[in-house]
Amino acid sequence: MALAPGVANPQEYVGDTVAREQTSLWADAWRRLRRNRLALVATVFIGFVLLVAIISVFWTPYPIYRESVAPTYEGLSSQHLLGADQAGRDILSRLAVGAQISLEVGVGTQILVVAFGILVGLTAGYYRGILDGVISTVINIFYGIPSLLVALLMVLLLGRGLDKIIIAIAATSWMDMARLVRGQGLALREREFVEAARAGGAKASRIIFRHILPNALGPIIVQATFGVPAAILFEAFLSFLGLGVQPPAPSWGSMAADGFQALRLAPHIVLAPALALSLTLMAFNFLGDGLRDALDPRQKR
Amino acid sequence: MAAPILQVKDLKTQFFTDDGVVKAVNGVSFDLYPGETLGIVGESGCGKSVTALSILRLVQEPGRIVNGQILFKGDDLLELSNEEMRELRGKDIAMIFQDPLSSLNPVLKVGFQVEEAMFAHDRVNKKNALSRAIELLKQVRIPAASSRVKDYPHQFSGGMRQRVMIAMGLANKPSILIADEPTTALDVTVQAQILELLRDLNRDTRTAIIMITHNMGVVAGLCQRVIVMYAGQIVEEGPVHQIFHNPQHPYTWSLLRSIPRLDSDRHDRLLSIEGLPPDLISPPRGCKFNPRCQFRIDRCLREDPPLLDVGPDQRAACWVTMDRALKHKEPAVGG
Repeated sequence: MALAPGVANPQEYVGDTVAREQTSLWADAWRRLRRNRLALVATVFIGFVLLVAIISVFWTPYPIYRESVAPTYEGLSSQHLLGADQAGRDILSRLAVGAQISLEVGVGTQILVVAFGILVGLTAGYYRGILDGVISTVINIFYGIPSLLVALLMVLLLGRGLDKIIIAIAATSWMDMARLVRGQGLALREREFVEAARAGGAKASRIIFRHILPNALGPIIVQATFGVPAAILFEAFLSFLGLGVQPPAPSWGSMAADGFQALRLAPHIVLAPALALSLTLMAFNFLGDGLRDALDPRQKR
Repeated sequence: MAAPILQVKDLKTQFFTDDGVVKAVNGVSFDLYPGETLGIVGESGCGKSVTALSILRLVQEPGRIVNGQILFKGDDLLELSNEEMRELRGKDIAMIFQDPLSSLNPVLKVGFQVEEAMFAHDRVNKKNALSRAIELLKQVRIPAASSRVKDYPHQFSGGMRQRVMIAMGLANKPSILIADEPTTALDVTVQAQILELLRDLNRDTRTAIIMITHNMGVVAGLCQRVIVMYAGQIVEEGPVHQIFHNPQHPYTWSLLRSIPRLDSDRHDRLLSIEGLPPDLISPPRGCKFNPRCQFRIDRCLREDPPLLDVGPDQRAACWVTMDRALKHKEPAVGG
């Protein structure tokens, strides 16, 4: 029997709802992110930086520590695409390895921040009371201490290895994440599905990690994405001051500092790492913006 | 009749707010028998939900259970440790809530949530959990259950979501299911389906059901016995058919008169109960219903009436009772 026009084919019904394409919230968000040009370009650029960083682990055009592979202060040339620095080292090679350092610092810091922020923030937000009071006070105290001072002290005390710098930066930048997660926890714990889980006899740890955390993941990811460029910039700044990774390791910050004395003579020494830094920071910020829009359920289109 | 599975004795739950102490549940006592369906009815804010939450000890700050006993199979739930209580929730006494959308976690698949309800009590291993989840969804008559376990709550209709909630409630084969207004947020036709499902589940699994509702029709359709609550107290209780045909408390009488009936004269005005439920911080002296009662006498203003037998298995807390009130016809307004 033919169906009347406009009448849905009963085959398309599953139960009392029309069968739909199965879309998870993440698939939905990804669809929306792809529609954002700027975020897409940013993602591609970050992918490129990541690729360069990975390749540089195995191969660079020139050994990065060997001096005088080119005349000192040499400008851009076909041999040395981005020229050479004051010691005659190949800038392109050093820039590529610098990408490694930046990404490690950026991502490493945020892994620590996310882990610590989730633990502390959800504890405060879910249990409230005295625990929340103590945690919130500690957060406020950390906000009150100048982060540069803390980072400098920690680098001085712990030493200047990359891992120590990551810890130092994380120690000064975890508060935003903890505060955000705490707020999410406070809001989500009042939701009915949490009450329903409690009525079902779920343990506190299960409620926190299975029911509350997945709902807070969107804002956490966005916050972490914005945290990456902040950490990269902080490391570059420390290295620029000569307090970051131990020279001659090629942090973008220390490379810029190296070229600073010869800014007039050979601006490319400063410009190359500065440009790489700016573009990377911008890319992460655009990606963060895009993710925020994509993961915001109110913006469903 | 067998021994009651749940006995609530003189339960008092109060909320300690900045404005004063809200006596949300004020001396409620009742028994629930195995396999029984018990309705608790009343207007919004009369303490129905707080009574239910108190049974599971889920009352949130600033609320506290200040008095009473809640005996489940003889053990006082108020004496249990938090861990023992957690273990009991969902396993022995399960609860389903009013709004099935907000009661389901929006970012988790429905099947996963049903599994979670089981994992809360370590009843199953991961392998069997999925097939058991599908089995439960089939039991609550969700079509194509084996494919729908992979769907998210927003892909279900309201009625289907409530079925999922019921499936989660039944996951650990509880002996009591507390349903807090489970049909209020649903269309009337869907309401009827959910009620039928609950009735069948009650018959097949012998799970006792406490049905909390403000809808007398729901009570008529599902329950054997009913408790009428007003201002944190029980004002009348008894078998459903008796309460419906012969209500003795003026509040019950008014509630029943406020239901539109097809078989009545269209010109009869629907009776609404004048006034609002009382402020539970400083309730009126005497009977809490007296400011709204058209049959009140002097004594109602002075003394709070106890629950007294007014018929076989039927008890009402009223100095007047409807039998006498209607005999004299004239409502004693102003008393």
